[in-house]
Amino acid sequence: MSFDERRFPVPVREDMTTALRRSWADIARPGTWWNGPERVTIAALARDERVQRNDPPWSRDRSQPLLAPLPEKAIEAARKIGADPTHLDRDWAEATIAELGDAHYVELASVVVTTVAADAFCEAMGIEHQALPEPEAGEPTRERPDGMGDIGAWVPVQVVDWNRANVARALSLVPEGVRTFFRMVAAMYSGTATDFEKMVWDHRPLSRPQVELLAARVSALNQCFY
Amino acid sequence: MLLRASSDAVGAEVDLSAAVEDAADGGVEHGAILTVFAEAVVRATDELDDARARALETLGPAKFVEAAATVGIFNGLVRVADSTGIPSDPMTLERTADVRGDLGFNDWSGAKASGVAEAPA
Repeated sequence: MSFDERRFPVPVREDMTTALRRSWADIARPGTWWNGPERVTIAALARDERVQRNDPPWSRDRSQPLLAPLPEKAIEAARKIGADPTHLDRDWAEATIAELGDAHYVELASVVVTTVAADAFCEAMGIEHQALPEPEAGEPTRERPDGMGDIGAWVPVQVVDWNRANVARALSLVPEGVRTFFRMVAAMYSGTATDFEKMVWDHRPLSRPQVELLAARVSALNQCFY
Repeated sequence: MLLRASSDAVGAEVDLSAAVEDAADGGVEHGAILTVFAEAVVRATDELDDARARALETLGPAKFVEAAATVGIFNGLVRVADSTGIPSDPMTLERTADVRGDLGFNDWSGAKASGVAEAPA
């Protein structure tokens, strides 16, 4: 079982381990545009590159064999989003999306961010990274949602009846990716939509200013204003 | 923006420069413990073991887990924003107009992607 409570040095809330476990399992399943082996390969590439993030990109060890073949642009994107988020820009994204397709790109990003968040949590807790899940067989669903539009992002996002923060719709071109990642967001940060709207939190042991200070510092270290 | 708003809600004055300075507490309880911990995880520094131990000792297990979870999930959230170029929300731009220049936000790599660099001060 992934994220077994016994691995943690101190107790972790059950809803958090449940969310981590479910999202980790999702990585291995056939997605919307990538199959299970491809998704686990994307996760492995992001992890391998990120653990070398203090080394310059050109000196990193990239000799690990791929579990499944991927287009070169997908390999590059998994590594870059995983380890070098400050190096991302519109020109690079447009060139990558032109080769991969926008939905393939968004799903790849969703797998990377899920992997990175889980890995960073393990590092913060002082435990080894969770072993990557065994890929499941099956074909991607290849279902593109309706209601997508241009709000100035690099990818289409949901534009119908939207009244929440933009970041919550950034991956909406692949709803499965939203579910996988934002399940963890709810358990590890925001709580329910009602909780999130409150500026004084009583559903978390830390005060909201303490949580937001951590959030602001992590964002600043990654040069991310959002 | 949420750091300022949540501090205002409890009548506390927060120093937003804590977001961009090393080991700053920002006027938040145990703030420096938290920021040092976050910095050590993100930068994967040799100080991580000490920062983690200090956070656990000071905060206690339940709060420590919340801190670790917040650091973990925000390493994902920043990549969601930066890999999709999602624009910042208008309210965020409006409420941070007075500090973005002073704190250097407009110069960040992510500022151009999120529309911050072009937003009115």
